[in-house]
Amino acid sequence: MSIPVFRWRSPHERFLFLLSPLLVIFAWVWVSRLGLFPDQILVPPQHVWEAALGLWESGELQMHLQQSLYRLVIGFSVGALLGVAFGILIGLSNTVENACSPLFHAIRQVPTVAFIPMLILVFGVEETFKIIIVAKAAFFPVALATHDAVRGIPKAYFEVARAYRLPTWLLVWRIILPSTVPPVLTGLRISLGRSWMVLVAAELLAADSGIGQMMEMGRQMFRIDIVMVGVFVTGLIGFSLDRLFRSLEGRLVKWKHQS
Amino acid sequence: MATIVLAFPGSVAWAEQPKEVRIATVAHYNGSRPSFIGSAAVIEKQGWLREELKKRGIRLVWVPVAPQSVGATINESFANHSIDFAGYGDLPSIILNAGGVETRLIVPGGRGNNVYLLVPPNSPAKSITDLKGKRIALHRGRPWEITFARLAEANGLKLTDFRIANLNPGAGAAALAAGNVDAFVTLSDAFPLVDKKIGRILWSTKTPGQDWKMRAELWGDKAFIEKYPDITQIVANAYVRAAHWVAQEENYPEFIRIAVVGGQDAEVVKREYADDSISWKARWNPVFDEFVTSHYRNAIYYSRKVNLIRNAFDESRLFEPKFVRQALKDLKLEGYWDTPAVAASTDKRGSS
Repeated sequence: MSIPVFRWRSPHERFLFLLSPLLVIFAWVWVSRLGLFPDQILVPPQHVWEAALGLWESGELQMHLQQSLYRLVIGFSVGALLGVAFGILIGLSNTVENACSPLFHAIRQVPTVAFIPMLILVFGVEETFKIIIVAKAAFFPVALATHDAVRGIPKAYFEVARAYRLPTWLLVWRIILPSTVPPVLTGLRISLGRSWMVLVAAELLAADSGIGQMMEMGRQMFRIDIVMVGVFVTGLIGFSLDRLFRSLEGRLVKWKHQS
Repeated sequence: MATIVLAFPGSVAWAEQPKEVRIATVAHYNGSRPSFIGSAAVIEKQGWLREELKKRGIRLVWVPVAPQSVGATINESFANHSIDFAGYGDLPSIILNAGGVETRLIVPGGRGNNVYLLVPPNSPAKSITDLKGKRIALHRGRPWEITFARLAEANGLKLTDFRIANLNPGAGAAALAAGNVDAFVTLSDAFPLVDKKIGRILWSTKTPGQDWKMRAELWGDKAFIEKYPDITQIVANAYVRAAHWVAQEENYPEFIRIAVVGGQDAEVVKREYADDSISWKARWNPVFDEFVTSHYRNAIYYSRKVNLIRNAFDESRLFEPKFVRQALKDLKLEGYWDTPAVAASTDKRGSS
C-alpha cells in the first residue's frame, strides 16, 4: 500500500498545490470589492488579516491555540492508545468481540457532540469533559481500523508465532503492530482530524478558552472578522496535523519493512 | 412628479410597500410549534397589527428565535436584512450598531426584566463580594452581562475579578446543578431552579435602589424605517397599544393567561413581577425618557470599557423617538405614563 507523502516536486506541482487557496482568496477579494454584500457579512480579507494580527499581538490567539492543542494532545493520546489496545483485543479474541460489539457499534453511531450535554452534567464545563470528548472521537475510528487490520493479518503469521512459542508482548510488538501499521495509521490520521473538529465544536458550546470559544465570543460580539480568523486557524491546524501524520506514516511504513 | 403622485396615489403607495413585515421575537418551542411570549403574544392576541397591515396588503410574519442565543441570531438576521424589526435586548443592539449595522430603538420596552444572581443552595456566599475569584456562569454579550457588571462595580469589583464561564442559559443552569460553577446569572428561569433546589437567589434587580433591569424592546432596521415610515408607525402603534393594555391592572389575569399559552409557567411569571420596586403601570412605560437614555449611555460606556465594542458612540444615535410620540398621540395616551416610576411601596403583585 502506498502512502502519499507530501513533498515539493516541481514548480508545476507547487503551482497546482497553491491554486485552489489562491483562487478562493482572489474570489473573496473580488466579491468584497464589488460590494455585493455588506462588510459585516462578507468581511474583506484585509479586515480578517488585521483581526488576526490584533489577536496575535495581544497574545489572545496564542493563548487559545495553546489551550486547544493541549486538549487535543491529551484527549487524542488517551483515545488513540485505548483504541489501539481495544482494537487488538477484539481483533484477537472472538469472545471479547462478541461481548462488546453491540455496545461498541451502537455508541460508535452516536455523533460525539450529542454526548456533550450529558458529559457537562457529569464532568462539568472544565477540562475533563473536553478531553473525554476528544478521546471518544479518537477512540472509535482507531479501534475499528485496528480491529480490521488485526483481522487482516494472515493466519500463517500466528501459526509461526505459536510454533516459536512467542510471548504475547513479542507477538504484539514483532507481528501485530508492524503488520497493521498502514491501516492503523490511516485510522489514527482520520481520527485526529475528527478529534480536532469535535474539540472545536465542543469549545463553541462550552469553554472559557480555545479556538472554538474565540469564535463563539466573536459571534456573540458580532465580530465576524474574529470568527473568520478562527475558521482559518482551525483549517490550517487541521491541515498541518494531517500533513504531519502523513509524513509520520511514511516513516513508520519504512520501519515496518525493516522489522 | 407631484401631479403624478396626486393622480395615482394608490399605485405609488402600493409600489412602495413591502410584501411583508418580519418581526423577530423570542419563542418557546412546545413540540414543533413556536409559541410567542411578551409583547408579540399580546399583539397577536389583539390582532390589530395583523389587520392593519392586511388592509394594506402586507403580511405580518413573526420570526421565532430560540432563547439560547437571541442576541447573536437577531444580530445576524438584521445584518443580512432577513428581518425588519425585533424585540430583543440592549447589549446585543449596542454590539450590532458598533459593528456598523444600523438599527434604531423604536418603542422602549418599559422598565425592563429582572436579572437574578443564583448560587447553589448550600453556598456560604452572602453577597457578590463573597464570589470574588469564584467561577460564574454568564453568557457574554447578553443583556444581563451589563446588569452583573454594574452590580460588581457597585461593590468595587470588576468582571476580571471572577472566573467567567461563557455559557448559554441552558448550559449555565446545568453547570450550576452539577456544582461546576459557584454562581449563575440569568433571568426569570431562576425560579424553577430555586424550586428544584438547584439554586437560591443571592441578589436580583428587584432590590430597591439597584434597579439595573435588562432591557428588551422593539428595534427596527434603519433602512426599513427610513423607507417605510408609515408601516413603522403602524408597528409602533401596535407595541404602544399592547403596552397600554398590559399596564391596566384589570388585564393582569389575562396577561398571565397569554403567558401560559405561550409556554411560560404562571407562577414563574407572577414571581418575576412580584415584590418589585417599580409600579406595574410604570413597568410598561414606552416613553423615551432619561431612564432609557442613561441606561444606554451607561451600557455603551461599559461595553467600550471591557472591549465588547471597538469604538464608543453617542447613545442618541440608537433612538428614533418620533414613532412613540405619534403613537401616543394616535392612541390618545399623551400624559398616560406621566407618573412617578417608583412605586410608593413595593408592588406586591402576584406575591400571594
